[in-house]
Amino acid sequence: MFFHIVLERNMQLHPRFFGRNLRENLVSKLMKDVEGTCSGRHGFVVAITGIESVGKGLIRDGTGFVTFPVKYQCVVFRPFKGEILEAVVTLVNKMGFFAEAGPVQIFVSKHLIPDDMEFQAGDMPHYTTSDGSVCFFLNL
Amino acid sequence: MSVASDSPVHSSSSDDLAAFLETELESDSDSSSESFPSEEAEDDTEVANHRLKKRKLEHLETVEEEGVENVASVTFSEEISEASSSKRPCDHPGSIKQICILCGEPVEQTGVPLRYMHQDMWIHQEEISRIRDSDIKFLQRQRKLCLVLDLDHTLLNTTVLRDLKPEEDYLKSHTHSLQDVSGGDLFMLDFMNMMTKLRPFVRSFLKEASEMFVMYIYTMGDRDYARKMAELLDPKGEYFSGRIISRDDGTVKHQKSLDVVLGQESSVLILDDTENAWPSHKDNLIVIERYHFFASSCRQFEHKYQSLSQLKSDESEPDGVLATVLKVLKQTHSLFFEDGGGYTSGRDVRTLLKQVRKQVLEGCKVVFSRVFPTKSEPKDHPLWRIAEGLGATCATEVDASVTHVVAMDVGTEKVRWAIREKKFVVNRGWIDAAHYLWKKQPEENFGLEQLKKTETEVKNDDVTLEN
Repeated sequence: MFFHIVLERNMQLHPRFFGRNLRENLVSKLMKDVEGTCSGRHGFVVAITGIESVGKGLIRDGTGFVTFPVKYQCVVFRPFKGEILEAVVTLVNKMGFFAEAGPVQIFVSKHLIPDDMEFQAGDMPHYTTSDGSVCFFLNL
Repeated sequence: MSVASDSPVHSSSSDDLAAFLETELESDSDSSSESFPSEEAEDDTEVANHRLKKRKLEHLETVEEEGVENVASVTFSEEISEASSSKRPCDHPGSIKQICILCGEPVEQTGVPLRYMHQDMWIHQEEISRIRDSDIKFLQRQRKLCLVLDLDHTLLNTTVLRDLKPEEDYLKSHTHSLQDVSGGDLFMLDFMNMMTKLRPFVRSFLKEASEMFVMYIYTMGDRDYARKMAELLDPKGEYFSGRIISRDDGTVKHQKSLDVVLGQESSVLILDDTENAWPSHKDNLIVIERYHFFASSCRQFEHKYQSLSQLKSDESEPDGVLATVLKVLKQTHSLFFEDGGGYTSGRDVRTLLKQVRKQVLEGCKVVFSRVFPTKSEPKDHPLWRIAEGLGATCATEVDASVTHVVAMDVGTEKVRWAIREKKFVVNRGWIDAAHYLWKKQPEENFGLEQLKKTETEVKNDDVTLEN
């Protein structure tokens, strides 16, 4: 599900960004780098909500780049085993179906679908039980 | 303990949550070797950092639990393993991004890549065979075969805007809106620098064919082009959903093959203008006459004649190429499902197609005169083969049973004999026409005088259609 957590990251900044707008530049670079990415531990970083702290910058030897340790708050999305997710079905075919739950792409193979659900091809392919009680439909 | 109850949506005590998440995530990654490949993911973030808002595939595990679970997450695993199926060793039928689609274990990427379904999907050959077989009951009930359609010069003709000749500029004012494509057949695709013309009768063709066939698009264009064309041909997504194969999805470069098509080879028919694109499936192929609407298309194939756009005309709808092919498809389809038979009776569309073809020149006995180079064996000549495929009997010498003499020149022995015996004298176009039009053509249209005429005349088609 969604979590609001604090993460830390070392941001490298090129000297051209120094000056009055250093902090803004740092924050926008952070957003560009981190939003939309995904890690196994935290999941998908959906959005950065705020900067908690920016540490002292360290000039790297040999280059003029400066490394700032930045602590930031962000909303992350990470599914857990056993969790129930709402997903939108994007494709239904003989192999199974594809679905999306936000940034998470899901494929459920035919093997994992209960045997009593049959695949019905046609212009609206879907899986359905014999009495039509349960269906996976493509949601356009 | 459950994540749902403990997870604060808005954390004021982010430290506590961080610690909680640490333990939770730690135990998760320790115990299970499943869906979240954390190690690879860390590398991926490095790569992903270079791309904005890139989505990564995650595989949601719903069944199997493997390995020993730590106490921390035991509540979950117990609930799940009760509901899970028996712990049979998984035979890894296929994988997405090197994760098994059945059990979630990391596996090697082997088998056939089905890139048109998912960029990184590979399915084992046995699984593909299994899927092909499992479909049979359903397809038999629905009385459906499989049809693979080419795009360029078969169902439509596309030109790059740059290649438009000045006399074709009038077309720019005749294009249809992209908002509602169902009414039109000429489209301007500015963003792709292209203009596309759909072949006459194509919409009726697709509608009728969809009742007899599960249809695929297989084109040598790239994926974006294929998707765009599918949108024009099939705005509701009812004919080709998820079955669009582009050149990026094939297994061998510059070649098309049925290996990625999920249908039995004995029940697939192919419609394409290029025979050589299908080296291993020539028996399933119906070769169709090329659709040259734009001048650039004629140039591409060194076609001497003017294109349809230059002549300000088009193929006939009710009588055109697609209508003819549709008839052939209907014939083959009804032969396949004749008398309640079909898949179960071991019928093969390839033999049935040959059967339909043999009816075209049935009863004709053909002798060739000065058509083949003297040194070669006439029986090996493609024209001989085509004539035999169409049901004609071919011979090298004339006799009373001969019905047609095919020649390129008036002055030969055989031609003089034919004129004496009142047999038909035709040029080779008569056989080619029968091959493309699936019907015996009136011999008068293919006399030898006609030969001289066509060299000087400007035509848009190789054959004239008799209504």
